[in-house]
Amino acid sequence: MDGTFAISQSDKRPMYLQIIEQIKQRIAVGDWSEGRAIPSIRQLAVDLQVSVITVKRAYLELEREGVIVTQQGKGSHVASNGGLGKRLREAQATRLAAMLGIRPKELEHRLREAGDRISEKETI
Amino acid sequence: MSDPAIELSGVRKNYKYFSLDNIHLTVPEGQIMGLIGPNGAGKSTTIRIILGLVHQDSGEVRVLGHRMPAEQIAAKWDIGFASEDMRLYESLTIGWHMDFMRRIYPKWDAAYARLLLKRFGLRADQKVKGLSHGQRVKATLLMVLARKPKLLVLDEPTTGLDPVARHEILRELTAVMADEGRSVLFSSHNTHDVEQISDRVTFIDRGRIIDSMDKEVYLERWRRLHLEVPHGVELPVLPGIIGVRRDGRLAIATANAFVPDLAHAYESSGARVHSVENMTLEEIFVANVEYSREEVEA
Amino acid sequence: MRSSVVGQLIRKDLVLYWKPIFTATAAAAAALALVLAGGETPVFVGVILFFIALILAGHMLPLMGIANERKKQNLAFLMSLPISSIQYTTAKLISSLILFLIPWLTAVIVGVWIIDTRGIFPPGVLPDALILAFLPLLGFCLITGAVLVGETEGWGIAANVFCNIVYPFFWYFMLKVPALMANVKSPTVVWNSASLTILAWEFALAPLMLGLTYFIQSRKRDFV
Repeated sequence: MDGTFAISQSDKRPMYLQIIEQIKQRIAVGDWSEGRAIPSIRQLAVDLQVSVITVKRAYLELEREGVIVTQQGKGSHVASNGGLGKRLREAQATRLAAMLGIRPKELEHRLREAGDRISEKETI
Repeated sequence: MSDPAIELSGVRKNYKYFSLDNIHLTVPEGQIMGLIGPNGAGKSTTIRIILGLVHQDSGEVRVLGHRMPAEQIAAKWDIGFASEDMRLYESLTIGWHMDFMRRIYPKWDAAYARLLLKRFGLRADQKVKGLSHGQRVKATLLMVLARKPKLLVLDEPTTGLDPVARHEILRELTAVMADEGRSVLFSSHNTHDVEQISDRVTFIDRGRIIDSMDKEVYLERWRRLHLEVPHGVELPVLPGIIGVRRDGRLAIATANAFVPDLAHAYESSGARVHSVENMTLEEIFVANVEYSREEVEA
Repeated sequence: MRSSVVGQLIRKDLVLYWKPIFTATAAAAAALALVLAGGETPVFVGVILFFIALILAGHMLPLMGIANERKKQNLAFLMSLPISSIQYTTAKLISSLILFLIPWLTAVIVGVWIIDTRGIFPPGVLPDALILAFLPLLGFCLITGAVLVGETEGWGIAANVFCNIVYPFFWYFMLKVPALMANVKSPTVVWNSASLTILAWEFALAPLMLGLTYFIQSRKRDFV
């Protein structure tokens, strides 16, 4: 199920951040749908071969951001507060744009143009 | 809240040329603790005291609730111990040792043992003397892992192993975590492994514990600040900075209790902060030891 | 539960060291066969071989079975098992005794039978023969004790050398005591106070040495 998490110590970012990113990634692309159960902290720790405390830190942060929900005795699941996937995708796009040096206003403008071009092609 | 798996308080042990001094160590149940220290720091002695093989001169040792060394027999039923200087019987086979363990320990899991044989690439009919170093280490660990003990105490479990073997062993060690009633204490030179799988990390040097904390706390608190100090600027002494190394106009400040305010404080004093970097556990360890030795000598 | 771990340790020693014991027993058997064959030279050689076999068994066993275990670092493995150092010592003493007594008792019993019934030796030689036969047993106890207490091969070797020096002195001493030599040629077994006293001492020394070993071992604070 989760054999494709790639956590690397040689990555500059701390391990817990990598875990957070990869969970958000799965939600963003739709592999992990809203409300779906996710592995317990211990189980993910075993699967990834990292310490429980690192996974715990990632989950706590994700819960703080409203991305996942953990219930005592019931485990954790993806938050189902509507449009989570879309919000995460947008957040990703914005981060990507920032990396490319494109400001949000300009990004919005360019996306609108690109959207129009695609619609034109489709109607032809 | 259950008993800690291991609890050492005020433990002292004197040898002719070396002493363990005032060791306080706690491994809560369900956690993995990594013990890092240079050679001769006292890791093996501490571990042997935990096992009841060496009698401390003073201080209390409790393992799985048992007082050591008095109750070592009871404790050892639930402790799996493997150390670098431990050997199986050369002239006998892996299979003989597995049988031996099976006859002694009721909790021996024969199916898991066979699975480990396969995973580790070993055969039951192999004689111990014919094994390579890595195979021998894996065979010894197999004897310990297949018992599914409540507490694993391992002295250098991955030292001298090739990357594949190391990965195989880390995989089995982390699998132990699935059961929150089981705990692990392991000592290692391989800070990479310790950083990856430990919940808590303890640094030991020259017979003293110099630090013991949650791993994530270490990673959060320690930072390296690269500074540029223009002429005439005095770097302030700040709390949370364990030391500063100067080289002309450049300086590296090592923080062991980092908060963003520290960077601001430096900037206010006229220095420029070029970067604030995370530190690996190895870098934290080396810095910690260096500064603690300076302190002792001062 | 406790006795079964000790039992497994004893069993382990029997598995590990049965071959040299078998060899020693076979050598003693061959020696006795030579003696039975009759004729001055075979008897002479047989008697010498007999004692050599027993001495080798008594001396080699503790060195192999105990000193080696520490040297080859098997001891840490054993002490990780749910036993105390006293239990380890117990298991060791029991297994070593079993392994030694098999060839020794066999050899002594058959030897006594030969003296008693085969007419090769005058029966009067029996007390002295028994006194001599006990020497390897005492040597075994001493070396076992030295190796357990001293923890190194060096102690075992030193005890080994000590015994090898003491034996000839003892034989010389025996030759010089008239009470011991007086009845050697007699057609019946004659026990006098000299031979009985010496045998009594030998009988007592063995458990005494083992007991002392046990005592010292139990006081150790650092076992591995």
